[in-house]
Parts: sequence; C-alpha cells; structure tokens
Amino acid sequence: MTAAVGRAWTRLTIAGKVVFIAVPLLLALLVPLGIALVLWGGAIVDFLAANLPLVRFLVAATAILLMTVPTAFLIIYMEMKVIALMNLRVGPDRVGPFGSALSVVHGLKVLMKEDFTPTGADPLVFTWAPVVVYLASVMTLLVIPFGPGLFGQGDINLALLYFFAIGGLSVVGLLMAGWSSFNKYSLLGGLRAAAQVVSYEIPLTLSVVGLILLAGTMSLNRIVLMQSGSFLDWNVFRQPLGVLIFLIAGTAEANRTPFDLTEADSEIVAGYATEYSGMRFGFFFFAEYVNVFIVSALAVTLFFGGWTAPIGWPWPIVGSLDPGSLGIGLLLLIAIVPVVATLLLAAPFFVARSSMPAWQALVLGFLLFNLLAVVAVLGWAFISFDWIAGLIWFLGKTYVFVFTFVWLRGTLPRVRIDQLMGFAWKWLLPASLLNLFATAAAIVVVGK
Amino acid sequence: MSQLPGLGIVKGMAVTLRHFFEPKATIRYPEVAATITPKFRGRLQLLYDEWGTLKCETCFQCAQACPIECIDMGGTDTKGRYHVHWGAPETYGERRDESALRRSGRTVPDPAYTHFEMPDDLAAVDAILDEHDRDPARMLAILEATQARYGYLPVAALKRISHATGAWYAMIYGTASYYRHLRFEAPEAVEQAAAIADHRPSEEAFVAALDAALRRPGRA
Repeated sequence: MTAAVGRAWTRLTIAGKVVFIAVPLLLALLVPLGIALVLWGGAIVDFLAANLPLVRFLVAATAILLMTVPTAFLIIYMEMKVIALMNLRVGPDRVGPFGSALSVVHGLKVLMKEDFTPTGADPLVFTWAPVVVYLASVMTLLVIPFGPGLFGQGDINLALLYFFAIGGLSVVGLLMAGWSSFNKYSLLGGLRAAAQVVSYEIPLTLSVVGLILLAGTMSLNRIVLMQSGSFLDWNVFRQPLGVLIFLIAGTAEANRTPFDLTEADSEIVAGYATEYSGMRFGFFFFAEYVNVFIVSALAVTLFFGGWTAPIGWPWPIVGSLDPGSLGIGLLLLIAIVPVVATLLLAAPFFVARSSMPAWQALVLGFLLFNLLAVVAVLGWAFISFDWIAGLIWFLGKTYVFVFTFVWLRGTLPRVRIDQLMGFAWKWLLPASLLNLFATAAAIVVVGK
Repeated sequence: MSQLPGLGIVKGMAVTLRHFFEPKATIRYPEVAATITPKFRGRLQLLYDEWGTLKCETCFQCAQACPIECIDMGGTDTKGRYHVHWGAPETYGERRDESALRRSGRTVPDPAYTHFEMPDDLAAVDAILDEHDRDPARMLAILEATQARYGYLPVAALKRISHATGAWYAMIYGTASYYRHLRFEAPEAVEQAAAIADHRPSEEAFVAALDAALRRPGRA
C-alpha cells in the first residue's frame, strides 16, 4: 500500500506535487477559518475593531515586508541587466522574458544552499544579525508616503527622525554579523562597515536639517504636501546642495558603488558576511537592494515632490466613468468585449500575413488585447483614484533614482577607504554644515 | 586641477549611458547562427586516405590560390618527396620549434634545405639569375638553365630563385611541374622511387587481407 503510494508520488511532476501539497494544506487552513468566522464572526470583528491601530500596524508591516521581496528582485534584475547593457553585454536573457526571472532563480538558489554556522560562532547573534539588518531596512519603509493616504503607519509627525533612527540600526546588525562570525576578517569587515555607515550618517542627517528648518516639520507627508503644485515647488530647487550631499551620503549609507567598501568583493572576501552562506547571506544582499529602494524613495519624498505630479494636468477630465452604473450591461460587456476585441486585433495579422496560421494570429490578438486591457485599466485607475496616480508617480520617480544608482555602479570604480573617510569628514560634513547655516541665515534674513 | 570637480564622473556616466543604448555585438548562438562569408573555408586541414597516407599530391594549387599566402608547405608527400604540412605556423610542432629557436636568437634550420641534398654552391644559381636579370617573366629560361647546371631542380635552388625573383615558390613549382622536361629529382632518385612503388608491403598486405575477407583466391 505505502509502496504504491510512494510510486504514485514519484511519478507526479513538480507542479503536481505542489498541487497535491498545497490544496489539502489550503483546505486545512481555510475550512477551520471559515467555521471560526461563522461561529464567532461578530466577536472577532469586535476584537479587531477594538484594536484597530494594532491591526493596522500588523497589516501594514506584513504588506511592506511582502512588498520588499519583489522590489529586491526587480532591483537585482535591473542591476544585472542595466550594467550588462552598459558593458556592451547582453546580460541575463535565458530565464523568463528578457531574463527577468533570473533574480527569482537566484533567490531560490540561495534558499537551497546549505546554511552553515562556523564552529565557535555565537549562534544566536550569528542568526539574528541578518534579521536585524533586513528589518532595519524594511521598518524604515513604514513611514514613507507611497501616495495620498498610503502610508505604512499613519502620518507620524516625527517620521524623518524615526527613519534615521531605525535606519541607523543596521549598523548594529553589521557589527553583530562581524563579531559573531568568530573570524578576525569578518570582525575587521564589520568594524569597517560600521565606521563607514556611522561616518556617512552624519552628513546624511545634517543635509536634511536645512530642509526641516524650511518645512518646519519632520512629517514626511507634510513635506510632500509642501511640494505639491508644479515641479518648481520641489525642494531640490530650494536645497540644491542638500540634495547633492543627501544623494552622495545615501549612496554610502546603502553601501553602493563607489562606496561599497563594506562588501568590496574584489578586495575583502565579503567583509562582515564572509562566514555567511545560504539565505542568511541572501538577507544581507536583499537588505542592500531594499536600501537602494529606500534611499531613492526618501530622496524622492524629501526633494523631488514625493507622490505629487510634476505638472498639473492642464485639461481637467470631465465626468468620471463609474462601471457600476452600467448595471447588467457591465456583465454583457465583460462577456463580449474580450472575444470581439481579440478577433478584431487578430484580423489584421491574419489578413496581412498569409503565412501566419489562424491560431497564431488569434494568440497574437489575445496578447495584444491583454496588453491594451492592462493599459486601459491602469489609465482608468490613474484617472479615477488619487492614490493610484500618486503611487505611480512615486514609484516612477523612485525607479529613476534606482536606475541612477545602478548607472553609477556601472560607471564608477570603488574609492579607497582613506579617501572614503576623508571625503565624509573633510568635504561632506563641512558642506552640510554650510548648507545648514546658509538655510538658517536665509530664513532669518528673508523671514518665514 | 584643470577641470571642474565631478566633471569626470559626468563624462563617464555619459559614456556608460551611450553604451546602454548601443546595439550589442553578441550573437545568441543556438538560436541565431553567425553569418559566415561564402568563401570561408574554416581551419586548414590535410586529409588522409583510408590507408593512412596523405591525400596531398603537393600540386601547390592551394598555395597559389591562397589570397593571403597563409599556406606554407613543407614535408613529405605520398611519394616520399616532400614532408607536407600547412596552415598556421602554430599548428604543427616543427614550426613551434622553429619559432622557439627564432625567439631564442639562434639560427633556424630550414628543413626544406636540410632534408634535401644541398647543391655544393648556389653561386651557379646566382650567376644564372644575374644572367637573366632576375626577371620572373623569364622563369622558364632560368629553370632550364638551372636544370642544365645541376641535372635536376633542387629545392634549395628553387627557393633561391623564388627569393631572388620575388615570384612565389608555389608559382615556380607550378611552372616547373607543368613542363615535362623539368624534373625535381636526380635520375637515380626517380629509379629508387620506382623501385619503392613496385614493392609496397603495406598495400600488398591490405590487398591480401581484402581478398581473405572477400573469400577470393589470390590474384596472379
């Protein structure tokens, strides 16, 4: 009996195995959940409503934690592809369309590797170090306004302070990793990373103080609202030096080229991450890519208008489409439009290219229809919902900066450690102080 | 500092951005095959027949046709006359030795000279060449005079003529092999080759084995 089951199991494809595991598992989870909802539904809703802030926090934290994974994958793919194109190579092009699934494969590979703890390491600290680094990155995302009313955690009036405080926690993680590895090179790498991150924290924070003086608030949401209007209201035109210092120090904070000395892979094996392997190693690198996103997002929020549109739409859209008003017509529309549109879009291919069989034309038409439908739905959402328009603007601007970081990495060589420290203390710090004093003087002279 | 600080970074980023949009030269091989010009012949290779002897007859037509003169011949052919090999100098050991010697600064022995019987003096060839003004257009007269002097056309003499007139060795060989009254071996060597051709042990053994395999009685 067991032998027969085993044989049947070995004959299943991978997809079949996944289905066989996932479906019973889902049933086992959902059925008790449904029963519980039916039995104690009212009580559960009451309990959740009573603890709304907590529930909100948990949901937001989970959503943001989940959001970082595709973000990191996307940035890793961008990095591979963009740098390859800049090096006149083709880059990843085997897995997925244009190789876009390669970063996912990388993630799976890292998951499957052996997770090794060296003898003599402090297992507790060793295990928690990547978690601290990763969470320090992810938790900063909680206060970033992704769109109007789209925050992880409310409109905190100390958001900027929170951001830098939590962001600074990653140093602790780096030191933990370096110290607990029981390896002097890891320890040196950790100290080196800590020295760099702490040094650049100062100009990074100081470059924003001028902006805080101008805005009179540390709430990121209000800083964004302050810049609403056209792109001429962006803080980048009020704090040009501040932007420059912020971007340079942010590059160093995120451990990116030309300041990626913490894991300079061609010089010091991997710095603090030398003894790490498997997914724990992966977390450090996930954190790095999430950091790129975070620095870009903060730069956009503070200096480039956040989720506000750079130019107001000159022609206001009159009348909004409410799909609900169509009534039963909507159902008919949903049933008929895909078929008709697919046929209509397939027709030109079928007519123009006699060598193309009908089914190929139909597939092409279907794909085209899907593309058009996605564009149409996005456009409709963009027009109808403020927060979607804001989110699209925000992500668009953020990825422009992510691209710039990748572009920098494709261009610049790494600096020396003494140049790195000298630059932070001799140039960036005085420059940020100058920026602060100039801003303060301007406020005093011109008046608020 | 002669330029603005940070200008170098801007320039570098302009370069990388330009490269970003440039078309890439990579050919995705299994899906896309490279376009090969119709005259491309691939790597040069000498073919052997089923008895393991070189098929090359040293007719030098390939060396004559080669537009970039990359074919260089030497060695022994099917009749035991020339040691035949060709192609890029790196591809055979003899040439590797030669280039090693050349790099070390020592004189390089030329197997084409040393393998064959050297005429006592090439002064006679030089005299003939001077007499004919070292004119490649008068090649037949030069070759006839050389054969009259030595009794046959030694390889060393042909090389000397090639060097002096500037005509390719391959072309001189072609000219010489075209005329039946010109010969490359001394008459006694021809007799020796004929004697070898009369008695080829490996071929006889092959024919005997073939007969045995086909269950045929031995032929007369």
